[in-house]
Amino acid sequence: MEDLKTKLKEQIIEALNLQDTKPEDIDDNAPLFGEGLGLDSIDSLELMVLLERQYHIKVEDPREGRKILQSVQSMADFIQSKQPA
Amino acid sequence: MAAISPQPTFEENCFSSPISFSTTNLLPCLEPDYKPFIPANSLRRMSRVLKMGLAASLKCIADSGIKVSGPIVTGTGKGSLQDTEKFLKEIVTYKETALNPTPFIQSTYNSVNGLIALQQKCTAYNNTFVHRGFSFENALLDSMMLLQEGEDHVLTGAFEEITREHFYIKSRIGFWKEEQIDSRELLSHHSPGSVAGEGAAFFMLTNQPTEKSYASITGLKLLYKPATEKLLSALQTFAPAVDAVITGRNGDSRFDHFYDTVEKYFGNTPQIPFKQLCGEYDTASAFGMWLGAHLLRAQELPQAWIGQPIAKPVNRLLLYNHFYGEQHVLIMLERV
Amino acid sequence: MAERVFITGVGMITAIGDNVTENLQQLLAQQSGLGYTRYIDTIYKDVLPVGEVKHANESLFQLAGLPPQEGLTRTTLLGLIAMREALEDAGISELNSVPAGFINASTVGGMCDTERVYFDIIDPGKEGSFLQYIDTLDCADCTQRIADIVGFSDHIATISTACSSSANALMFGARMIKQGLYSRMVCGGTEALTRFTLNGFNSLKNVDKQFCRPFDQQRTGLNLGEGAAYLVLESESFAKANNSRILGELSGYCNTNEAFHPTSPSPDGDGAFDAMRKAMEMSGIAREDVSYINVHGTATLNNDISEGKALERLFGTDVPPFSSTKPFTGHTLAAAGAIEAIYALLAIREGLIYPNLNFSEKMEELQITPVTTLMQGVAINHVISNSFGFGGNNASLVISKYEG
Repeated sequence: MEDLKTKLKEQIIEALNLQDTKPEDIDDNAPLFGEGLGLDSIDSLELMVLLERQYHIKVEDPREGRKILQSVQSMADFIQSKQPA
Repeated sequence: MAAISPQPTFEENCFSSPISFSTTNLLPCLEPDYKPFIPANSLRRMSRVLKMGLAASLKCIADSGIKVSGPIVTGTGKGSLQDTEKFLKEIVTYKETALNPTPFIQSTYNSVNGLIALQQKCTAYNNTFVHRGFSFENALLDSMMLLQEGEDHVLTGAFEEITREHFYIKSRIGFWKEEQIDSRELLSHHSPGSVAGEGAAFFMLTNQPTEKSYASITGLKLLYKPATEKLLSALQTFAPAVDAVITGRNGDSRFDHFYDTVEKYFGNTPQIPFKQLCGEYDTASAFGMWLGAHLLRAQELPQAWIGQPIAKPVNRLLLYNHFYGEQHVLIMLERV
Repeated sequence: MAERVFITGVGMITAIGDNVTENLQQLLAQQSGLGYTRYIDTIYKDVLPVGEVKHANESLFQLAGLPPQEGLTRTTLLGLIAMREALEDAGISELNSVPAGFINASTVGGMCDTERVYFDIIDPGKEGSFLQYIDTLDCADCTQRIADIVGFSDHIATISTACSSSANALMFGARMIKQGLYSRMVCGGTEALTRFTLNGFNSLKNVDKQFCRPFDQQRTGLNLGEGAAYLVLESESFAKANNSRILGELSGYCNTNEAFHPTSPSPDGDGAFDAMRKAMEMSGIAREDVSYINVHGTATLNNDISEGKALERLFGTDVPPFSSTKPFTGHTLAAAGAIEAIYALLAIREGLIYPNLNFSEKMEELQITPVTTLMQGVAINHVISNSFGFGGNNASLVISKYEG
């Protein structure tokens, strides 16, 4: 799980071009949207693309997407829940 | 005003710098550090021409001393080529699945306008023209109409980029010279084609002159695919004596005859070329207007930039430009 | 005193008809033109409904009165067909008898054809007739091709402000008339379906796999469409001196910017509210004078909340009957403003209010619901037509009855 979260942070930084941010700057439970990293709705679509390209998980509904993308922790939990047992 | 171009035009005292040139038939912009102008959170997502357009507009706003709450009107011939190319490729690479929306959004021609309005929280009239060599001039016309309709000020501008890929594409239909030339010698090479350029230029237009004003726009005429006679007739009604002509001559022998006609019409009036500085692109006339406005205010331009001394006083300038023989424009500028 | 601007000719082609009469027939029959694409090569061809014009390019050449040839994009052909109808409708046989300007609009120009050959164009190893499409991508291409074929030689321009483009073209043309620059302007827009835009909107998760349901609680997005429409605008003095058949008046308009987000409107609909309010103010009409509103109504989550809130804020408890005609035509992007301006005109002339198809459940955020069945025999005097786009570009038009 810890490895997954670190990797996720690196992927988020790369996908969203957060040039001045390092993985250690992102708290696992900090909100990604609004405050925290201050991402917006276009970023949430890009993160859903990340989930699809890197983890082969497709999220169709942007509303569902927002819940999954609340924090790095919620994203990691979601990815793990989709892995074959 | 503000301009980002292949010359160091974004810097203070840009005219004391030597002119930049290219030997590859492509004059790329000298881009500034965007961080002082654009917050990191916006910058991270923006492609090149969006950064150029936004930064030039913000510098122009600062230069004018006017806080933008008025209309924003721009022109661009090709918009964000980088984003269009990227999205086209990603559609194929990812087989139409898992596509990032950002290049699509930014490929829309009015995205720069939208960004400026967003950044300035400006909810007024907002329009973008996309019509090759008429893009900037229609934006000017729209802006001048807005001032007539009662607006105090209008932010107007143009932006354009060239990419390696698009340079290649246009080379296939003869836009550029086949032989590689030194761009400083552009006007000595009479052969088909020109050299590619790019740039962003913004102007704050006001109803009344202020001590910050660079120049006055006193006339604007657009001619679509005119025969030489129609061009001459337009010159006769539109442009009585001027002190100099800012000419869009670009070394393309196929269309030089139009510039010859204008030069001959004005007899011994100095012709000031500008395409050796900025290259050829849809909205290059915006750079020409920037240069002309500087000349009118400062009453001089470095000889290294324009190739000749200009006799003072300079009170009236005509800018004449065409884009590959199709869209011809005449802009009259006067000293304030 | 600035002259009034009248509409003296109209022409169009959409998913529900090749001309104005056919469009009207399908509106009256409440028959949508949505379906799966026949001509776009895409993995979504049997997944995402679109409002496609029911002709392959070969057939469009015939309708446009031209022999098939390379270099003319679908966008140009659609525009040409609509243009010819508009000029004929206005009784213009000799275009240059009077100086006339042409203000066109498009968002992706000739992309419909460019995207098919793009990878050949950038391949130095490839040669062929596809080279004729090298300069057809940009928005100016269709404008100039149409201008050259029908004979416009005065002012030409192309506007590209996403979904509000042709509404802005109408505004710009009207203002040029009011400035006394021209007595006659032909304005509108043209847009063809492309894999590029289909994928673009799909990447925004903004499209519906069903036929779109504007203002419905269960809506999930838009269906793209294609088409073209032009309106001939004339100054009052010219129209009267020329004995033009006056179809209606472009009595008010307003362009505002949302300045909220690159693709979404503000949730309270500030931009829409301002655009409609100022257009009405220009028109000199009060709230109770508005007979019908042809809303932008794309059925995206954001637009319908924002536009709906704006309607409620502007009209309080007395929101006029409103509907979106996008379930008929799809969202035709740049062409939408002009297409829907003609629908507004038809509503006035025929006494109609169109149904908002596919509606069943009121949105929880709003009190109001759209008209769901065709209304006929209604006195329609003033119609508001909205077009709101990416980049926050908002345009509202007021089309009014001409009393003579």
